[in-house]
Amino acid sequence: MKIKLKYQPRVLKNTIMLINSSQNSSAIREFLTGIKDGIPLQIGVIPFGIVFGIIGVDAGLTSLQTFFMSSILFGGASQIIFTQLFSTGTPFAILVSTVSAVNLRHLLYGMVMSEYLRHLPLGWRISLGYLLTDEAFAMSHLRFSKQPFSEYQHYHLLGGGLLLWFSWQFSTAIGILAGPTIPDSFQLEFAVPLTFIAVIIPSLTQFPYIIAAICAGLTALIFQFLPFNLWLLVAAFCGVGSAMISTYFMKPENSQKQEPQ
Amino acid sequence: MSVWIAIICTGCLTFATRFLALSSLMPDKLPDWLRLAMRFVPVSVLSAMILPSILISNETGAIHFQDNMRIIAALAAIVVAYYTRSTVITIISGLSVIWLLTFWQ
Repeated sequence: MKIKLKYQPRVLKNTIMLINSSQNSSAIREFLTGIKDGIPLQIGVIPFGIVFGIIGVDAGLTSLQTFFMSSILFGGASQIIFTQLFSTGTPFAILVSTVSAVNLRHLLYGMVMSEYLRHLPLGWRISLGYLLTDEAFAMSHLRFSKQPFSEYQHYHLLGGGLLLWFSWQFSTAIGILAGPTIPDSFQLEFAVPLTFIAVIIPSLTQFPYIIAAICAGLTALIFQFLPFNLWLLVAAFCGVGSAMISTYFMKPENSQKQEPQ
Repeated sequence: MSVWIAIICTGCLTFATRFLALSSLMPDKLPDWLRLAMRFVPVSVLSAMILPSILISNETGAIHFQDNMRIIAALAAIVVAYYTRSTVITIISGLSVIWLLTFWQ
């Protein structure tokens, strides 16, 4: 995800200039740059948070459960999947394992980030790990990979991550409060597949990803009869498996390193 | 109460996946096939969520194609997402299409 800030609020620009001029300010400057880089992402984050707030209460979670899920889980798509599985009465173990499987991709983010953050004290690594969402990763990884190493660069992730955290909590609260006033005829639950479409379409640039999408979608339909919403895990497994098999056949030179399963 | 436990468990597992690679517990290199597999997880899970929520009727619980306005709205959203790459514009256009179709029916 790459978003360029088209305009810079003047106040922010002036603040950054002021701080740039003062001594020993790298940390604050990185922090503010992180916030600045996070601002364009709010266009996607805030409506998503509002939709989650509405849908969480609609699915039968209490306002408190919906609100605190945003800080305990802190991951958009996984929270929506949680509420959908919850509303269809999925057993505990399957719900927890499905939602956690959705978030497994964060392991990759951590692996990429550990190159830049490994040297930090434990408290820092815990805080930054907690804030390491898709958006924060995309934003700070772009920064870290472009800039030469600087001692305070992790403040960038802290600034952007905190901005994303606060806006996520805030927009969830708005959704919870606004939800009951929106009539059913607006079909806002349809915003969920629309959000997911918006998330996956840009990533469907390579053949294995397209194969994954098609196979996962079709197996999800075919296995709807399975109890406890197990179709989602089965479909995810088939999607990943088919993508790996197609990668394997597309790159014969790598067949020594990669295994299809 | 079990909802709270589920939220906390998923929260802890999610935090663990985010923090694990930053901790010293993590082996330096994961097998290539595992790294490759993780890359396909989001697309697979989200596609698996999308198709049933568009094609399966809330009333009957069966797949239906006839008079299913969500199919048209979703196709419109796919086109918009492809050209704009914007979450907000995609959601707005998909919802607008379904509102217009409902209105005309």
